[in-house]
Amino acid sequence: MTSMLLLLRRVRAFVVRDFLLAVSYRMEFFLRMLSILIAVTTLFFISRIFEGFVNTEYPQWRNPLAAWITGLAVLNYFMTGFSSLATAIRQEQTQGTLESVLLTPINMPTMIIASSAWDFVQATFYSFLYFFFGWLFFDVHYQGNYLLAFMFLLLTTLVLACLGILSASFAMVFKRGDPFGIFLGTGSALFSGVFFPTQLLREYAGQGFASVSRILPPTYGLDGIRRVLIEGQGLSQVREPLLTLLLFLAVLLPFSLWVFGRAVRRAKREGSLIQY
Amino acid sequence: MSSAAIKEEQGAANQREDAPCAATGRAVAVAIKQLSKTYPVSLERLKKLFRRPIKPPVEALRDVSFEVKEGEIFGLIGRNGAGKTTLTKIVATLVQPTRGSVSVKGYDSVRDEEEVRNRIGLATAEERSFYWRLTVEQNLMFFARLYGLRDTGARRRIDELIERFELGELARRRFGELSTGNKQRMAFARAMLANPPVLLLDEPTRSLDPLAAARMRALIQSLATATPPVSILLTSHNLVEVEELCARVAIISRGHIRALDTPARLRALHKQTERIQIKVRGANADGVKRLLTDVLDDLEVKDSDETTLITFARETDDDRLDAAARALHETGASIISFDTERATLLEVMESYEQDEQGGEEKR
Repeated sequence: MTSMLLLLRRVRAFVVRDFLLAVSYRMEFFLRMLSILIAVTTLFFISRIFEGFVNTEYPQWRNPLAAWITGLAVLNYFMTGFSSLATAIRQEQTQGTLESVLLTPINMPTMIIASSAWDFVQATFYSFLYFFFGWLFFDVHYQGNYLLAFMFLLLTTLVLACLGILSASFAMVFKRGDPFGIFLGTGSALFSGVFFPTQLLREYAGQGFASVSRILPPTYGLDGIRRVLIEGQGLSQVREPLLTLLLFLAVLLPFSLWVFGRAVRRAKREGSLIQY
Repeated sequence: MSSAAIKEEQGAANQREDAPCAATGRAVAVAIKQLSKTYPVSLERLKKLFRRPIKPPVEALRDVSFEVKEGEIFGLIGRNGAGKTTLTKIVATLVQPTRGSVSVKGYDSVRDEEEVRNRIGLATAEERSFYWRLTVEQNLMFFARLYGLRDTGARRRIDELIERFELGELARRRFGELSTGNKQRMAFARAMLANPPVLLLDEPTRSLDPLAAARMRALIQSLATATPPVSILLTSHNLVEVEELCARVAIISRGHIRALDTPARLRALHKQTERIQIKVRGANADGVKRLLTDVLDDLEVKDSDETTLITFARETDDDRLDAAARALHETGASIISFDTERATLLEVMESYEQDEQGGEEKR
C-alpha cells in the first residue's frame, strides 16, 4: 500500500513537472489544437470525393472520414505509447537532468511509468480532440461498446509501450539511430491500416508485403477499435485481435524490461548515462 | 628519512586502514574497498567487426580504499582527470565499478542502489541538472516528491532550505534566470532535501562570492557537527577550503590514492621544516643575533622602526620556538606578532605529481 502511494506520488511529480514545462510553451499547445482541426477538416473534404461510394468488401470504410479520424486518433495514442519513454530519456540526456533524476531513490519501473505519464495525458486529450472535432463540425458518430474499444486502446498502447522500452534501451546505449522508431514510426501508417484497409496491401502488393502488417501490433489494435466503434461488434467477434494483442504483451513485457535493465547497467558501466 | 621513503611508508599505513584520523572511533559512513574502474571501449565488438580503430580502455581508478567516518568531512583533491568525479559517481550509484566495492551506511552501491540513494545527496557545480524553465520552488518540489516526501513535509523542507540558502527572493524565478552562484546554492539545497546522512560535494563554493563562500563553509562545518551528524565527501580544487574544512584529505592522482592523512600531517610529510617570523618590541638586531644564533637555524634579524623582525627555520613541532620566546622574554623584549610559513597542500599535491611524472619517465 505504502509503495503504491509512493509510486503514485512520484508519477504525479513527473506529471506536474511536465505539465508546468508544457504550459511554459503556451503557443505550442494552441498550434497543436489548430493542426488537429486542420487535419480533420482536410480529411472531411477528401471524404467528400467518396460520397455515395459504398464498398461492402470493407465495412469499416463505408464512412471514410470516421475511419480516418479513428485511425489518426488511435495512431497518435499508439505513437505516444511507443515513443514517449525514449523521447523522455533523450530529453533528460540532452538537458543533463537524467543523472539528477536517477540519483533519487526511484526504481526503473517507476521511472518508466512516470516519465511517460504526462505524454499519455496529453495524447488522450489530443486523440479526444480528433473525435470531438469530427462530431462537432462534421457529424461523425460512433456506435458500439466504448469500454471494449478502450480496452483495445489500452492493450495496444501497452504492447507499443514495450516496444517503446526497447527503443529507450537503444537511446540509452546507442544514443541515436533507433531501428524500432524507423520501423514502427514510418511503418505503422503504411502497414497498419491508418489511411486504407490492410486488405489492399495483399491485392496490390502481394502476400509478402501484406504479411508485414500482420506482425505490427497497431494493425490488431486499429482493427479491433474500428470493428467495435464503426461496425458495432461485440467481445465474441473481436476475440482474435484481442488474443493476439495479449500474446504480444505476454512476450514483450518481460523481454523489454529485461533489456532496459541491461541497457541502464551498461550505461552505468560505461559511465555514459548523460552522454547523448 | 627521504621524502619519498616517508611517502612510501605513509602509503603502507593507508593500506592498513589504521591511518591517524580525527574522527577515529566513530562509525563508518562510507567504506570504499579496493575500488577500480576501467571504462570499457564502447561497442568494442561492433567496432572490431567493422574494423574501426579502437582506443584503449581508460583506467579511471585503481585500488582505491578509504573510509569516511560519521560526521567527518573528508577531502579529495587532485588534478583534472585524476578520478575524483568517477569516484563520486560510483559512490552516488551513477557509475558501476569494475572491481571493489563501496558501501554507504552498510548498503552496497551496486546491490542496494536504492537504499544507497536514499542516504546520499550529491551537489555538483553542473548547472544542467535542473529544469531551466521551472522556478526554484517547482524544481525543488519535483525532486522532493521523487525522494518520497509528502507535499506538506516537502513544502516545509523547501521553505527551510530556501531560507537557509538565501534564495527567498528568487523562489518564484525560473532556474534559467539565476546567477551561477545561486544555481550552485540550489544544487546544495536539492542535495539536502531528504536530510541525507551522507553528502557528496563537488566544488561546493566554486561560483560563490567570498561572503557566500564563507557562509557555505560554515554551513558545511555545522552539518558535520549536527545531530545526527552528516558525513561529507568533498572534492575541490580550492585547497585552502579543503584545509579549512577537512579532517582528512586524500590526494588522488591518475586514479590512485597517493596520500591520505590530516592536512597538517600531509604538509609535515612533504616538508618537515617551517619558517617562523616573530616581530618584537624592546630589542635590537645585534642583541638578538648574539642571543639566538646558536639556538636557531637560518636566522635573519632586521630592525624596522621601533620593532625587530626575527625569521628562522625549525623542524615542525620541535621546541625551538619555545626556547626563542623564553630567551627574548628574558631580555625584556615583548612579542608583538607571530607568523608561520608552512608548506601548502598545493605544494604537497605538486610533489606527488612530480613523483608520478618522475616514475613514468624512469619507466
